[in-house]
Parts: sequence; structure tokens; C-alpha cells
Amino acid sequence: MENLAENKIVLDLLPQKFGKQGQIWVVCLLAICAVGFYAYCRQLYYGLEVTALRDYASWGIYISNFVFFVAISLVGSLITAVLRLTDVHWSTPLTRIAEIIAVSAISFAGLIIIVDMGRPDRFYNLFTHGRLQSPIIWDVIVITTYLFISLLLLYFPLLPDLKIMIAFKDKNGKWLQKLYEFLGSFWKNKPEQFKITDKAINILSITIIPVAFAIHTVTSWLFATTYRPGWDSTNFGAYFISGAFLVGAGGVLIAMYVFRTHYKLEKYITDDHFDKMGKVVVLLALVYLYFNINEFLVPAFKMKKSEEEHLMGLFTGEFSPIFWFAISASMLIPILILVFKKGRKPKWSFFAGILVVVGSWFKRFLIVTPTLLHPFLPMHDVPKNYTTYIPTWEEWAIAGGSLAGALLVITFFARIFPIIPIHETIIETESHEKA
Amino acid sequence: MKKHKIIQILLLIIALSPSILMAQAVEKNSLSLNLKYFNDNNITHHLLVQAKSKIDGKFQTIPNITIQFYIGTEADKRNLLGKRVTNDRGEAIIEIPPTAKDAWLKSPNQNFLVVSTATKQFEAGQGDLAITKAKLKIDTAEGKMITAKMVALVDTIWKPIAAVDVIVGVKRLGGILNANETQTFPTDSATGGVIAEFKRDSIPGDQNGNITIIATVADNDKYGNLSSEMQVPWGKKSLYMTNFDHRTLFARRGHSPIWLELLAYTIVIAVWSIIIFLLFQIKKIKKLGFE
Repeated sequence: MENLAENKIVLDLLPQKFGKQGQIWVVCLLAICAVGFYAYCRQLYYGLEVTALRDYASWGIYISNFVFFVAISLVGSLITAVLRLTDVHWSTPLTRIAEIIAVSAISFAGLIIIVDMGRPDRFYNLFTHGRLQSPIIWDVIVITTYLFISLLLLYFPLLPDLKIMIAFKDKNGKWLQKLYEFLGSFWKNKPEQFKITDKAINILSITIIPVAFAIHTVTSWLFATTYRPGWDSTNFGAYFISGAFLVGAGGVLIAMYVFRTHYKLEKYITDDHFDKMGKVVVLLALVYLYFNINEFLVPAFKMKKSEEEHLMGLFTGEFSPIFWFAISASMLIPILILVFKKGRKPKWSFFAGILVVVGSWFKRFLIVTPTLLHPFLPMHDVPKNYTTYIPTWEEWAIAGGSLAGALLVITFFARIFPIIPIHETIIETESHEKA
Repeated sequence: MKKHKIIQILLLIIALSPSILMAQAVEKNSLSLNLKYFNDNNITHHLLVQAKSKIDGKFQTIPNITIQFYIGTEADKRNLLGKRVTNDRGEAIIEIPPTAKDAWLKSPNQNFLVVSTATKQFEAGQGDLAITKAKLKIDTAEGKMITAKMVALVDTIWKPIAAVDVIVGVKRLGGILNANETQTFPTDSATGGVIAEFKRDSIPGDQNGNITIIATVADNDKYGNLSSEMQVPWGKKSLYMTNFDHRTLFARRGHSPIWLELLAYTIVIAVWSIIIFLLFQIKKIKKLGFE
């Protein structure tokens, strides 16, 4: 990073008002959310009948979306905790991006589960009548815990930045100033305060890793603890976690590029960041590819009669276009792009990130739905539409609305708070100068 | 003119051909009614009829056929025992009602008749059966021996019957388990009886060890189906076992295994203690700021 004066850093990194592009972006997201909300109102009124969910495919794109959100939220623990604890400093400008992705994704993971319920008014029964033996209860506990830890991990490093922002009273506007003062008026840059904050961040960084592993392992157990083709696996936890780190890292690549170009942060999110993050994505894609080979090759080698239909459906059957697209887009092509130095330049990295995220969404769909449509016992005497799953417009609208909602949270966060930690950047610049 | 006539004949053939084909299609199948008689424990008697028809070269059971059951040889209203409709297995069952007592007592032999009226798919059907009234009585003897005696009504006297195959065993869910290795026991000529040694000592019974032993004559041409059963305390006592209140991974709410509860609650308490501790740290930072 170049040597920059403190004031310059502050002015560069302070949150900025939406420009025309930003406004259009927000309006588009709000419109998608509104359509999703209308579709959800229809679902509430008419029931799950408006969806394509039936006896066999009882989990569709809502649950795919849930798994996707949980997966992408893991990036918070990767960038903030794992890299921090391993004393990797280049990731400092990316920590807040990773954390806000984690917070918004995990919030919408919780919401989309409620959307999937036929009677959302009975949600409280999970707490009043839940069985401790059920992985669903573990998921509820662990997701709530992860959300709280992620919020704290977002908040503690934000405290010194809040003091900086409070100083720009004229620029902030009335309600933003009130918000900053409510959140951080007590921060006085005292050494004791820094000491407590550093300690808290360290504790959080250590705590979030097992919790993050737990959220996605437990999510994988929702599938692996049931006896079905494609889910009956002992390494589903590791398979899910490796995939989650990949999609999260892909999401960070996209966010890095968007924030860098939109807010002109080239001095802070440098080509070097893309280079290093690109290498991380290659590593994660290779690990995930390994788990995929393991997950599909072993059952395909045995080709048990009961699993054959499911596997052939993925390899050459009705799901094969999505399957090969997901494998290529989320792993093979990003590896081929990012393995070369030129491919780790911002634009190519952005493209690879999009491929990873889109491919990973479809990968989650493939984990959830084809298995449900290929039960061990053959389907008999069921209506034709029970044997297939084509999501209705309501499902697409709700799923799209939830994705837009998550992006909206990130967008508003970037509007209100500095997306790159100001104080940490100043400290690192100073230490860089001293060195 | 001649050409027109040929065309007219051809048109007539074409017009008539579907109706000819249809006439063939609606040709009715014949229905066979197979009637059986059952004497249950010398207390109740019932008749079972099975309706069958040859469709596509195979005999198939026919449901939804209304059957009229008669006692005697004539389909007379006075002899009518009742009407029943065949079920999915093509079977209809009727108990011989007390109102048929007079007809039943007339003779040591008894005839039955079943009739079905024609339907859209099937022709009218008829079946009959002639039996000699007989009784089978089960009992036990010293040393876990099962005895059964078969008698038949000759004029007005019940006489022992020889050379009838009797199955002796234990009644289990879905069938009869033979009392020993022998499948059937022929009745002797002197007493009409059979003796079977009970060799199923370890068989589970009810809470008191009671099992039901049974002697049965199946599908005898002359006497029909007879069965007689009784309870004996020769089985192993079954204790009522339930894990409903046990702590298992599959139990209801609040009955999870202790190890799971300890593990889960320890983790939850540990992690949430850290979160609460950190919330207190925020309070501490706040306090430091206002000092």
C-alpha cells in the first residue's frame, strides 16, 4: 500500500452518498424485493400450493437458497478470523466486506427457512416444542449464535471508525450523526479501550471458527442424517464447509471489485489483494473439487441400484446440464482463470467470482432437489407433477427477493459505514512507514 | 349404376364395421363362483365365495359382484341367507344366520347355493356346495399333548370319522405353526382322533404365557373347513417392553440422552457465556469513555 496521509485515508474511506448508479442499483433491488414480498403474500394467503413443492420434492429452491446463504456467510470466519489468527495482514481491508456479507447472508438464511414453512405462525413451536435430538434445533441454535458473533465481530473493529465519522458532523446528516453517536459516542481512543477491543476481537476470532464450522456442518447433517441417495454420506460436513469457503471467497472477489471501482478504492483494494484472494480461491476450488470427486466417484464406482437413477440423472440425465454447468462454473473455469497471474487481475477475478457464486447456487440446488426426486422406494400412483420439480414464479420471486434483500443490506451498510476499516488502515500505513 | 351400388355396399360395410367391432368388445365374460363352507370352533358357521373370470387368458378375481347366498338347492326367497358384494380379492363372506336354523337341522347333509345376476361385463353366475355336517374338537392330554377328535353326523348320531387329515399347531399372526415336525395327522378309525406332541416350548405367549393351539381341517371335499382352538399356558411369558419413557436419540422431546444434553448444553452455555462476556466488555468500554 502506498504511503498516504491520515486525512487522505479518512476522506477516501468515509461512506459516500449514492450516486446515480447507486440509486438505480438500490431501486432495482427494492423492486425485486417488492415482487418477492408480493409473491410471499400470495404464498401466505394461498399456502404452499402456489409453489411446486409436493410430497417428493418438499425442499426446493428455498432450501437451496438457505444452504447457499449459510455457505456464503462462512467467509466472515475465513477472512476475519482464520487470516487474522494466522497473522496475515493483507486481508485487513477485506475484513469488513467479509463480515457484512456474513451478517446479511446469515440473516437471510434464517428468514428463508421461515419462508419455506407452510405455517410460519408456528415458528415459535421450534423453541417451545423442539427436540434437542433434532439437527433442525441444532441449526436454529447455531445460526442464532453465529449471527450474534458476526455482529460483534463487525461492531468491535467499527468503534474507532465511529469516532472518526462522528467528527464529520456536517457531512453526515442528522440521522446518521445520531446513529453514529448512539453506536460509538463513548469511544475516546483510550489505550484501555483499545486493549479491551483487541482482546475481544481475538476472543471472537477464536470463537467464530468452531461456530462457523458448526453452522455448515449442522446444515449438512440436515441432509446426511437422513437415508437418501446422494445424502447418505459420512463426509458431508467437510464437503459442505469446503464448498462454503469457496463461495464465500468468490463473493468477496465480487464485492472487492464492485467497491473498488464504485468508490474508487484502487489504493486500498489493490491488484495485490486480487492476486492473493485469487490464489485463495484457487486453493479452495481445488479442495472443493477434491471433495466433489470423492462424493461422486465413490458411489458412481459402486453404482448401487438404488443410487443409480440419482447419479445418472446428474451425470447424463435431466439434471446433467445444471450439474456440469455447476461443476464447471464454480470450480473448473475459475481455477483455469485464477491459476494464471493475468487471471488474478481485478476484471478477470471479478468474472471468476461471479462464476463461482452463480455455479455454487446451482450446486446447492443439485444437492437438495434431485435426491428428493429419486427416493429409494419407487414412486407409485402419484400425480405426474409430483415426479418433477419446476419452481413456480412465486418461488423464483421469493428466492430472488431474498438475494436482493441480502445485497440491499450490504449496500446500505456500505452507505452508512466505511466498507474498509479506517482506523486499522491508518495504523497499518503508519507501521508500514515506520518499517 | 353398378358402380354406385358397389360404393353403397362398401359404405354400408364401413359404417357397420365399428358396431360389429363394438358388439365383439362388449361380449360378456362368464363368471365362476367358488363356494366354501367354514365351521369356526363349532360355534359359528360361515360361507365364503370367490368370484373369478377368465380375462385375457388368465383367471382373475372379480370385485364388486353382488352375490346371493341360499341354503338348500333352490334360489328361493325363503332360502335366502343374505346378499354380499365381493371385495378387492373377489371374495364375499356371510355368516349362516340363526334364522336358517330350521333348514339347517333338517338333514345331516347340507346344500348351499350362490347366485350372481348378470352385469354389464359379466354373465350371471352360479355355484353350489354339498357338505356333511361335522365337528372337530381340540383338547389337551398329559405331557403337553394336543388331541383332536373329528365326528360327523350320520342320521341323528355323531360318529367318529377316520382318515381325515388334521393340521395341529399354534395359532400365530398370519398362519398356523405346526405343533411338531409333522405337517398333518390322519384321524384314526376307532375314535376319529389325532394326538400331536407339542414341541414349541420356547414360543412366546401373552403376559401369562398363554398361546392358542388349533386343530383344523382344510378344504375337505366332504366336510368343508373345520377348525377348533383353545388357549393353553404353554408359551413363554412376554413382558410388556417399551422404551417410550427411555432417553434415546429417537425419543420425544425432553427425553434426549443425558450425554447429548450435557454436551449440547455445555457447548451452548460456553459459547453464550463468551457472547455475554463480550457484551459486558462493551459496557466496560462505554464506562471508560465516559470517565
